[in-house]
Amino acid sequence: MRDFLQILLVGIGDGAVYAMLGLGLVVIYRSTGLLNFAQGEMAMFSTFIVWTMWSLGLPMWLAILGGMAGGFCVGALVHQVAVRPVGDPHEKPLAVVIVTIGLFLGLNGAAQLIWGTLDRSMPPLFGRGQVTVFGVAVAWQKIGAVIALGVMVLLFYLLFQHTKLGLAMRAVASNSESASLVGIPVPRLLMLGWGLAAAVGTVAGVFIAPNLGLGTNLMQLTLIFGFAAITLGGFDSLVGAVVGGFVVGALSSVMPRYITIFEKMPLAPAFILILAVLLFRPEGLFGKKQVSRV
Amino acid sequence: MSGAVSAEQSAQRGPREWALKVGPWILLFVILAVLPFQFPSFRVEQFCFWMTLAIAACGLNLLTGYNGQISVGHGALFGIGAYTTGILITEFGVPLFGATVAAAVVCFFVGILVGLPALRIKGLYLALVTLAVATLFPLLLEQFSAITGGSGGLQITSPQMYRGEMRERPIRLESPIAGLANDQWKYFLFLAITVVIFVLSRNLIKSRVGRSLVAVRDNEIAAESSGIPVSKVKILTFGLSAAIAGIGGSLFALDQGQLYPSSFTIVLSIYILVAVVVGGASSIIGPAIGAVFYGLFSDVIIQQMPDRIQPARAVILGVLLILLMLLAPGGVVGGVRSLQANFASRKGGSPGSDPDLIM
Amino acid sequence: MKKASVQVSAALLLGFALIGGACGGRDDSSSGDSTTTTAGDSTETAFIDPAADCTDYKGTQGVTGDTIKIGTVRPESGSYAIYDNVTKGLEAYFKSANAAGGLPAADGKKYQVELIKKNDEYDPAKTPALVKQLVEQDGVFALVGNIGTETNKSVRDYLNENCVPNIALATGSTQWGDANAYPWYISGLPSYATEANAWVSYLEEVNPTAKIALLYQDDDFGQSYKAAIEKAIEGTKITLVAEEGFNPLAGSTTEASVTKLSQSGADTFIVGVGGTACPLTLSFVPATWTPMTMISVTCGSKTALSLAGGKDQGVYMAQPTLDPADPADQSNPKVVEFATQGAAAGLDESAIQGGIASVGWGFGSMFAVGLKNATTVDRAAVMNALYSLKDSTFGLIRDEVTVNTDGAKDPWAIEGFRIVQRENGAWVEKAPVTNEEGKSNSFAGK
Repeated sequence: MRDFLQILLVGIGDGAVYAMLGLGLVVIYRSTGLLNFAQGEMAMFSTFIVWTMWSLGLPMWLAILGGMAGGFCVGALVHQVAVRPVGDPHEKPLAVVIVTIGLFLGLNGAAQLIWGTLDRSMPPLFGRGQVTVFGVAVAWQKIGAVIALGVMVLLFYLLFQHTKLGLAMRAVASNSESASLVGIPVPRLLMLGWGLAAAVGTVAGVFIAPNLGLGTNLMQLTLIFGFAAITLGGFDSLVGAVVGGFVVGALSSVMPRYITIFEKMPLAPAFILILAVLLFRPEGLFGKKQVSRV
Repeated sequence: MSGAVSAEQSAQRGPREWALKVGPWILLFVILAVLPFQFPSFRVEQFCFWMTLAIAACGLNLLTGYNGQISVGHGALFGIGAYTTGILITEFGVPLFGATVAAAVVCFFVGILVGLPALRIKGLYLALVTLAVATLFPLLLEQFSAITGGSGGLQITSPQMYRGEMRERPIRLESPIAGLANDQWKYFLFLAITVVIFVLSRNLIKSRVGRSLVAVRDNEIAAESSGIPVSKVKILTFGLSAAIAGIGGSLFALDQGQLYPSSFTIVLSIYILVAVVVGGASSIIGPAIGAVFYGLFSDVIIQQMPDRIQPARAVILGVLLILLMLLAPGGVVGGVRSLQANFASRKGGSPGSDPDLIM
Repeated sequence: MKKASVQVSAALLLGFALIGGACGGRDDSSSGDSTTTTAGDSTETAFIDPAADCTDYKGTQGVTGDTIKIGTVRPESGSYAIYDNVTKGLEAYFKSANAAGGLPAADGKKYQVELIKKNDEYDPAKTPALVKQLVEQDGVFALVGNIGTETNKSVRDYLNENCVPNIALATGSTQWGDANAYPWYISGLPSYATEANAWVSYLEEVNPTAKIALLYQDDDFGQSYKAAIEKAIEGTKITLVAEEGFNPLAGSTTEASVTKLSQSGADTFIVGVGGTACPLTLSFVPATWTPMTMISVTCGSKTALSLAGGKDQGVYMAQPTLDPADPADQSNPKVVEFATQGAAAGLDESAIQGGIASVGWGFGSMFAVGLKNATTVDRAAVMNALYSLKDSTFGLIRDEVTVNTDGAKDPWAIEGFRIVQRENGAWVEKAPVTNEEGKSNSFAGK
């Protein structure tokens, strides 16, 4: 039992990170309606920005803010030059998939060109310490990830529910045509959405990098976990991303432990989840039901 | 080349036009025939690899280009074809090309299995599922390392005479023709298979079945109401596409003689997709052009550059993909076609989009 | 229609072959010709006899005038790019040798070395094409310091069939002990099994009832350790109480495994994991668990341990070489030579101290020994020289470690280790070198 709790807690800590990545994916889905396959690479890129600032001697928290700002610019730029010109993702899904894959390759290669291909080491934000609760050791880093996620969710809530900007973004998400008719600058808000998503991804990267080593393949598997989280929670639900993240984190930590066939595939439960949800409940736990398009 | 041809086409039909039409093909065949004699053996083996990539891209093109179902996971099907071949040969002593046929059959059924959920999961979401499959596949190979060899690789061997005794030795395609080295023989064999697959695909697309594929892509509901069994078409296309990708994978196994999970990561799936998109989705010859482009770019041109800037390969490919989608979504073939059309309409002739020119 | 196109293609196939054949062939047609040479030495006891074992033997390919072409394949990009430092050391060795006039050989000449590097990203699927390119297009004499177990395995048949030497493999997999079947390969590292045996021998001395928790990388590298440990503890009171495999490709960390092992009641922790995962593993060890920790030699460099977050204090390791970062070793002439000449050849201070480039330096030195001892400048002669070393040494091997080889009977050059413990950022000797001459193959488990 203690063993189980131990494994579960590791999973919940990981889940907080998947949820962060999921939040970014949801923001993009809500604003531009697409699944951003380059989200992980955007996060990796801005994590490298954090690393650069930190290794130049800035304090970590400042480096993270800098990385988020850098990520924001990358996200906004990517939307302006690559995503917006392609058009509606549900009209031309192939073109959009190809563009996000192009971004995936481009950002990955660019990071290799700029930072080389050596894994960099990044210090854990909350140190390597642990607390023991009821005989179960919990790393501060995991607790920190859950707290960071909580702060992020709170900020999102304030933004979307209590600011004019958030209201406008919600209007764009629910109907961009009528939003633009009432004078909301739709393209600028979409750009903002992409920037926000990338900034959120930075924090996810900062939590993953100390454990995996900061390399250009930092996010390739993590991204699938993030997608599993939002598939379960519902592609357009921020709450869903959080709940989904925790469930996916717990499942992919616990199942490989106890089911031999998943032993070397922590990704398999996440995959099965994606497939099952899309087949039987495409709107996920908290998402809005989509009317099928003709 | 083709702009002139199509302009002429409407004006006259005669021996000159025939020569213009056939000429480029003859030239292409001569080039293909001479290639393996001009390069060292490792290069010829690379050409063989490009052909396997072209075959897989041809399969993906049927599915994505003509039938409108997106797959970012064809690398996994390619891998299933390769591993089926390797295991059948090494463990069960199946003859080399017998294993290729078996791989095609296995992949056909795997494709059907994947195609079933694809009836409900469409567009971006299908892309997500197939992306997850592609990411999962190398881990599956690790999980079942008892049969796949895991990261230690699968050596494809058969019992052979070596230093006077029968031993398990790496497979090789022995050339039956004196004066033709093994790699050259392999090249021509692969080339013949590639040509057959492309010709059959072309015939399929020009047939009634092919038209229903396209009808389903363009408008499912209209296709349904005009009596096309949409579900059946979609599932069978998935199966066929997978079978072709499996043949590509099987030839890859025969070419390499050993298999490693690292060959079948998400990157392979992306490159197969790149081959389709660069060459031009929904043109039969497009994927072959795309595969050759990718091969030249990544095995020849990039290798000449200093190591430090080799990661630029990914940047260039990424930027190229985005530009293609923004400027010329039809790829190379689409570009040629629209040039042709421009040229023809300026001359006042009919738009020259005779698919025969493209093959 | 199907039938027709099959026939068409069959005809095309034949046509292609005819046209192509008529248009000219390759210069290196494989119908055995007069360029075939024989090895110069005729010692009856020579390990390799190319006349018997090689069809189309090209013993002096890559040697022109007084230059000799060498190839090497290593990961310059990808997640194992840290090992590129090995190649930097190798390159520095040759640069420094060239600057000093070249590598001496039996014919009295001194040879300039031209090193051609290829990047396979540690991916065995990419290695064959690059190695074939080195052999067939660049025409190298030999490969030196190729990095990686699977990568080297992927070209083993090709290189042995074509009788191309692959010298100083940067891997200690037990597979390289099979010199009978693959005489053209020789490892530049000790066998992983010998290293594991050294750990267990030391444990027997200091803690004969040790309870081991083992974390191993779930591939050839980690499994070599596991099998050798299982074999070595047979008949002792040492037990393996818990083990966890770790797959570096699965995208997870060792954190959950370490946590589990920490609760197993073990008093000894063996970390059979390489790459950055190894120091990170040390950092995951909870403060409540204080086992005696043994780490893989691949993890013992200053560069790697700097990632452990201070948790490298007190860990043990079996060490065959001098450590350029260790103050106790810095006055050793081998280290002095490496530090001064390496710096002159362009290695920076962190590379010299890092403990990875020095390994590559040793590989270059191993090739130099082979060339110097060879009766002629010939592929087989160089291999035969390396397979009959007598009280030799090269690179930064510790002076107490004896270096002898004898064909398939003793295919491992380095078989001695001392046990060291990490104290305040430096290694302190806990047990002197034990040489296990000729026994490496017997340590390999199944």
